[in-house]
Amino acid sequence: MKTRSDSGPVLDKGDVLLEARGLSKGFPGVWEHLILDQLDFDVRSGEVHTLLGENGAGKTVIANILSGYYEKTEGEIRVKGKLVHFRSPREGLAHGIAMVHQELMLVPAFTVAENIMVGLDAPLFSYGIAGVEKRIQRLVERYGLQVDPKARVEDLSAGQQQRVEILKVLFHEPEVLLLDEPTSLLTPSEADQLFVVLRAMADDGKGIVFISHKMREVFAVSDRVTVLKLGKTQGTCQIAETNEDELTRRTFGETVPDYMERPEVAHEELALNTIEMVPSGLEKKPNSQGISLKIRCGEIMGLAGVSGNGQTELIEAVTGLVPPASGEVWILNADMTGRTPKEFIERGVAHIPERRREIGIVEQMYVAENVVLKDYRKTPFSKNTVLRHQQISSHAEKIVEKFNALVPDLWQTECRILSGGNIQRLILGRETWRKPPVIIASHPTEGLDAKAIRHTWELFLALRAEGSAVLLVSEDLDEIMSLSDRIAVMFEGKIMGIVDGKGADREILGHWMAGGTASAA
Amino acid sequence: MSSPSSWIRNLTPITESLLAGVVGLVIGAFIMLAFGYNPLAAYRSLFVGSVGSVYSWAELFANATPLILTALTFAIAMRGGLFNIGAEGQLYMGALAAVSVSLLHLPAPFNWIVAILAAMVAGMIWSLPVALLKLGRGVHEVISTIMFNWIAHFFAFYLIANVLTDPQRGERTIAVSESARLTRVFPDATLSSGLFISLVTVGVIFFLLWRTSTGFEIRSVGYNPHASHYAGISIRKQVLRVFLIGGAIAGLAGAIVVMGRPPYYAVLSGLPQLVNLGFDGIGVAMIGRNHPIGIVFAAIFFGGLMTGGRIMQFDPGVPFELVRVIQGIIILALAIPELRRLFFLARERLAGRK
Amino acid sequence: MELTHLWGILFISLHAMVPITLAAIGETIEESAGLFNIGLEGILLFGALAGALGAQASGSALVGLLTGMGVGALIGLVFGTISTSLRGSQLISGVGINLLALGFVALMLSVMGAPGFHSVAREVQVPLIPLGVGNLSPLVPITVAIAIGVWWLLRRTQLGIWIRAVGENPAAADVAGIRVNRVRLGAAVAAGVLAGLAGAYLSIDWFGAVTKEITAGRGFIALAIVVFSGLNPLLALLGGFIFGFFDGLATWVATYPGIKDIIPWQFVAMMPYVVTLAVVAGMIGRVRFPSALGVPYLRE
Repeated sequence: MKTRSDSGPVLDKGDVLLEARGLSKGFPGVWEHLILDQLDFDVRSGEVHTLLGENGAGKTVIANILSGYYEKTEGEIRVKGKLVHFRSPREGLAHGIAMVHQELMLVPAFTVAENIMVGLDAPLFSYGIAGVEKRIQRLVERYGLQVDPKARVEDLSAGQQQRVEILKVLFHEPEVLLLDEPTSLLTPSEADQLFVVLRAMADDGKGIVFISHKMREVFAVSDRVTVLKLGKTQGTCQIAETNEDELTRRTFGETVPDYMERPEVAHEELALNTIEMVPSGLEKKPNSQGISLKIRCGEIMGLAGVSGNGQTELIEAVTGLVPPASGEVWILNADMTGRTPKEFIERGVAHIPERRREIGIVEQMYVAENVVLKDYRKTPFSKNTVLRHQQISSHAEKIVEKFNALVPDLWQTECRILSGGNIQRLILGRETWRKPPVIIASHPTEGLDAKAIRHTWELFLALRAEGSAVLLVSEDLDEIMSLSDRIAVMFEGKIMGIVDGKGADREILGHWMAGGTASAA
Repeated sequence: MSSPSSWIRNLTPITESLLAGVVGLVIGAFIMLAFGYNPLAAYRSLFVGSVGSVYSWAELFANATPLILTALTFAIAMRGGLFNIGAEGQLYMGALAAVSVSLLHLPAPFNWIVAILAAMVAGMIWSLPVALLKLGRGVHEVISTIMFNWIAHFFAFYLIANVLTDPQRGERTIAVSESARLTRVFPDATLSSGLFISLVTVGVIFFLLWRTSTGFEIRSVGYNPHASHYAGISIRKQVLRVFLIGGAIAGLAGAIVVMGRPPYYAVLSGLPQLVNLGFDGIGVAMIGRNHPIGIVFAAIFFGGLMTGGRIMQFDPGVPFELVRVIQGIIILALAIPELRRLFFLARERLAGRK
Repeated sequence: MELTHLWGILFISLHAMVPITLAAIGETIEESAGLFNIGLEGILLFGALAGALGAQASGSALVGLLTGMGVGALIGLVFGTISTSLRGSQLISGVGINLLALGFVALMLSVMGAPGFHSVAREVQVPLIPLGVGNLSPLVPITVAIAIGVWWLLRRTQLGIWIRAVGENPAAADVAGIRVNRVRLGAAVAAGVLAGLAGAYLSIDWFGAVTKEITAGRGFIALAIVVFSGLNPLLALLGGFIFGFFDGLATWVATYPGIKDIIPWQFVAMMPYVVTLAVVAGMIGRVRFPSALGVPYLRE
């Protein structure tokens, strides 16, 4: 069946548009395995082909190579049968291959139209903004993307910004569109809208590559799915021929454990208590009452929600990184509103940050120094401001051993060269060795292998048993449902509801995550 | 994968500095050729003039002494992630403060102790506003330190001509009182005990940066202010600390110059003994890789260039300013982080062509 | 105060405005692309020397100005290359350029005769336009034209969009197919050309001589004006005029009988720098800078 794309050549539905054979990629350095290992992959006209895998499986890297942003180490790439070698994304675009990245690649200060002009091949001294705005209107009508060409990107919501990204790419009339985790910043309803748009493009004859790690999306939008695990394919099949359990098994290896049994929460004292608190950065969100969250000692509170709904701001407020705009923050019965991070640390708040490399450690400092990053002022590590290397060393050794961090040495290795997993192990060790009464853990197991994830969960449960309170922020609903005593859902800066962890209903949680207000029945 | 031992790790910056030095000297040689001078004769003069006799060594160290301190000012700021190029102005203020203590007519040893302390305080007073402007208004220290340098320049002129003037000699200030002057280490040379003060300061700063919690905080903020904030370190405190310590050291440099420099032991109008010590200090710090030990060696190198340069001016007549040109080229070469790799790449390519 | 005094101050202000504004406009292009060049001072100095030598060698002031621009372009190229393909530190290479300029110019002055000073023959200086109330350098209207032209370039052309994209989000620009390093290099050369012109103006138009101190921190004041202007060349023109006014005022006060006995000349000389500080302290925070300013761009 022949169809016509936007204004390009006639494509046979089912024609292979883009194909990779024997693709490999290995970065120089300390990586334990190749990023991509002898991969075969193809995209056909009229289909949505999903690349499914956990974080770190290599999905983004494939897309970057196929679009020309990264270089491959080995292998062949063909566009409609012809061998190609892209040296830049521009060359990829010229061949009709376009990529929409996970992090938005927009200039916030520019308007939508100006952002699109960045990517145009126009004469130096021209200024075709009027033409661009008109064309945006036409595309908006054709595919149903709601965007105002004159709006400044920094004023737009995440969902709208992503539509701008897609528009940017559509301007080049691509035949293959690669989208990397496009729904990571969208609410479920925005995601559904996106799927409609993608379907429209596929019906137009384009080939869509959809990267995801979320099972529900895979079944909502794909024609074919390829599972990726640690850089290798685990097979490609039609979506109609498989089911969720089978794909889960292929993607994750083990089945995800259920709720971890444990004794009831023993304490009544509040470890963390926010009173109508509005974190800085969320003042404009429609939540006049602020966040009132109570976590008892010896309790694990899971905070579920799509990233970008205020979790980061909430964490900044309860760790002292940024003072809240209004309301109060109480830690262990002391009013800590607006105090410095140092005071929070001294009060007993441990913080395992989401961005471990950028904030959790000082990359250029040595392992031993990073292990005492928060403790160096205290005895026995220093005395009258003089550091005591002996004590620091023996302590660091203990932590490294106990948490199985793979480090060559303590005083000569800069943390920069360690892998993300090892850095996280050091951070976990550093934050928990004093058995802190309050632990704020943000995406603590992201990027870790199954064994390390288990170890972390057991650690949290052990600390819980000794009376520590844990605020667990994670995008992984399975993790939250396995670990939490209670689960709160955050949406647009507001707590939509709190339920018990045991026997929690996934549908209600998903509903709240999308902004629905049904109460827990 | 095993990492190189710390000795080998230190070797990389050392080779980079040496390489940059070679690049500077080589290009300097080409410039000399362009002007019709004989580079070999010139460099021989330079070498002999700087290290050829005990006297020249003494002069070399005399030149190096204040450079060590102004370099430390810049280096500490760099370690803290800041760009303090205000040593020039801070050192003028320090020198003038030291001289004005003579007006108090204190007995020894109070006179030189107070003079040194006054100089350090003056330096701190001059660097504090820079820190405050940065913290309070976000003013980039590059702009503010240069402005303060120029303000200090003119303020110094004013003080020399109108307030601290020597009643007998209008073109300079009153002299530092005799008992307050730093002892000469070498007869005939200008080297004073100021050298030891400088070296002690080097030791103190080394200890501070790597063996104290204060130094830990400074370095941490210099590497990563966000992670430091997360870890509970106060960024404000570090900015203030770094500028105050740097200002104090630069002020000290000014005091040492004026208290240790025969025959006048005073600040001359036009500031000839002080001018450019701040900027040269920046060069020394860069070549010394912002490390106290490296700075000592780099200061010796610069000091040598300066003493040797004067001899080179007599014979074969190459102007002294060429030395500064070489310094500039070395700094440019140092700005390139991959210099060593480029060098080997270029060598391979040339070899490949043959 | 008589009318002739007012005209006198106006003319001095306009003339003092030229070098700072030209350098500031050049740096505006550069900072819009994400480069921060503290070596402007050095380029000014090189431009002053090159302009004087070029004018004398050719007997034409125009050639002198062009020589200054050419040398400025060369140094801009060096700075740009170090900052982009060689991924060097912009602050350190800026300092290197300043040191090199100081040394080189002083060296040339020594070699050419009187160390520290070299006067430029009257005949090869830029001819002034007699306007009845005073003589105006043609470079004043040229500077205004350049300010308008660069504003148009940055805000109303495709090239301007590319330059600003590179400064705000080089990764996005790269992905969109723009050669980030090439754009930055071009911006550095453009800044060098304008700073070189500013320097040549100092020696063959305004002062009529080359000295080691001829730049007097003007390169840094230009940096401050870039901050003040929020990367808008038209505001840079205004800022340059304000600064020029204080510069002119300083000269006037230093020579006006009566006043010069009350206010010591040193404090008057300080005024431009104090004013710059005050302006910068007042302006920052209200002004928005490209997010990728001063950071070298690495793709992987």
